[in-house]
Amino acid sequence: MRAPGSELPVVFTEVAIVAADVTILDGISLVLLGGSAPTVLIGPNGAGKTTLLRAAMGLIPVTRGRISWGGREAASPQRLAFVFQRPVMLRRSTGDNLHYALAAAGVPRDQRASRAAELLALVGLEKLAQRPARRLSGGEQQRLALARALARDPEVLFLDEPTASLDPAATKAIEDIVRAVSARGVKVVMATHDLGEAKRLAGEIVLLHRGRLIESGPASEFFENSRTQEARKFIAGELLV
Amino acid sequence: MLNRRALIAAAAFGAVVFAMPAVFAQDKSIVVASTTSTQDSGLFEYLLPLYKQKTGVTVKVVSQGTGQALDTGRRGDADVVFVHAKSAEEKFLAEGEGVKRFPVMYNDFVLIGPKSDPAGIKGMKDVGQALKAIMAKQAAFISRGDRSGTHVAELALWKASGIDIEKDKGAWYKSIGQGMGAALNTAGAGNGYVLSDRGTWIHFKNKGDLQILVEGDKRMFNQYGVMLVNPAKHPNVKKELGQQFIDYLISPEGQKDIANYKINGEQLFYPNANDAGA
Repeated sequence: MRAPGSELPVVFTEVAIVAADVTILDGISLVLLGGSAPTVLIGPNGAGKTTLLRAAMGLIPVTRGRISWGGREAASPQRLAFVFQRPVMLRRSTGDNLHYALAAAGVPRDQRASRAAELLALVGLEKLAQRPARRLSGGEQQRLALARALARDPEVLFLDEPTASLDPAATKAIEDIVRAVSARGVKVVMATHDLGEAKRLAGEIVLLHRGRLIESGPASEFFENSRTQEARKFIAGELLV
Repeated sequence: MLNRRALIAAAAFGAVVFAMPAVFAQDKSIVVASTTSTQDSGLFEYLLPLYKQKTGVTVKVVSQGTGQALDTGRRGDADVVFVHAKSAEEKFLAEGEGVKRFPVMYNDFVLIGPKSDPAGIKGMKDVGQALKAIMAKQAAFISRGDRSGTHVAELALWKASGIDIEKDKGAWYKSIGQGMGAALNTAGAGNGYVLSDRGTWIHFKNKGDLQILVEGDKRMFNQYGVMLVNPAKHPNVKKELGQQFIDYLISPEGQKDIANYKINGEQLFYPNANDAGA
């Protein structure tokens, strides 16, 4: 049963997105249900992962087809959150970046300090609250971006390649946060080109190639018994052209 | 000169001798436990008269859901089982109830629904996404719920879509415990979706507002297998006649007969006895 006003499921029905005569997404039919394990989009560069995430967030219009959120034709941005691949840090401290996000999310002033402390602890940045955000490492900035996204208490969290260019320790920290957030009931939909990461995190895999949905299904089925040649090639590390 | 007693004895002997083929002819029949969907497709109405014409053997079909058909075999109440749920067939073999499994033919399942298509699944290539859309919309879905091969396939497709249907079903999911014809009629009456084998769908005469909405996903492939019930466990099994029927089904002649079965020019079943992995 859906909660009243829920953004889930997010349903793509034959969605196409065309820009400057380039088809970025083509005939995508996809249902994002709630659930404790993330849906992970995989595919080569240019497959359309980022565009699909942005469309699911309601950031870009579709050319054909439709997207619905909880059965409605318009998304409520308050219940959705997005972490971009290269998050922008405000020229403030780590803590103040988070306070800003809490204020923007409408959290009452008298609740912001406790909520900030809770979120900084969740992402492991409590000791860096006073550090200027622009002096954090790449991994630390991603963690702050996650905390800011969670400030609005989203129902769905979209992550666009959150561990791209991070070292293994930083990657593990991000993945641990993703698991913790999923376990709290937030629906995580993330894009990655890292198959290992997809195997570690995904409950559901969606493989995109050239804007089309090639194969989707439970992660265990995808990795052990994929149905399409493209999936088998991608899993084997071959180039999809 | 023959006396009266000798003549009577000769006549009696002749009567017995001439009666014997009639006795054996009465015995040239087997029982095949098969599925309602195979029956409803019309395949047996077409194939079995051909087989009788070639061999003189009458094949009597007991049609039930796959689970029930295999149980009929387990009781020794059939000579041959001819069903479409490979995992259940392999379990039957592992229990020692069958002698050997032979693949025979395949058809496919199609996802049927109303023209209004409330879940918006028409034309989807991924049946998993289509089922998710049906659940998301809480659109009526009719399940056979009868342990048939179709029911087993439906449950596998829910699982493949990542949905735990036992946990996630609601009032929208209606399990009716009946055969394919009844399930299609229920879907038609209630604007619902239903998974059907293509053969029964083509043969179904009460389509009304229903139409095929999703087809072609490899996971909707429906493989049939045939097995002789184990005579070592069930001595009453007619093993020669039963094996003769199996040999026919997998022979080039039988495979051609299966391929030639058409409705409105459309082939329903694709023979694949030579596909050892099927």
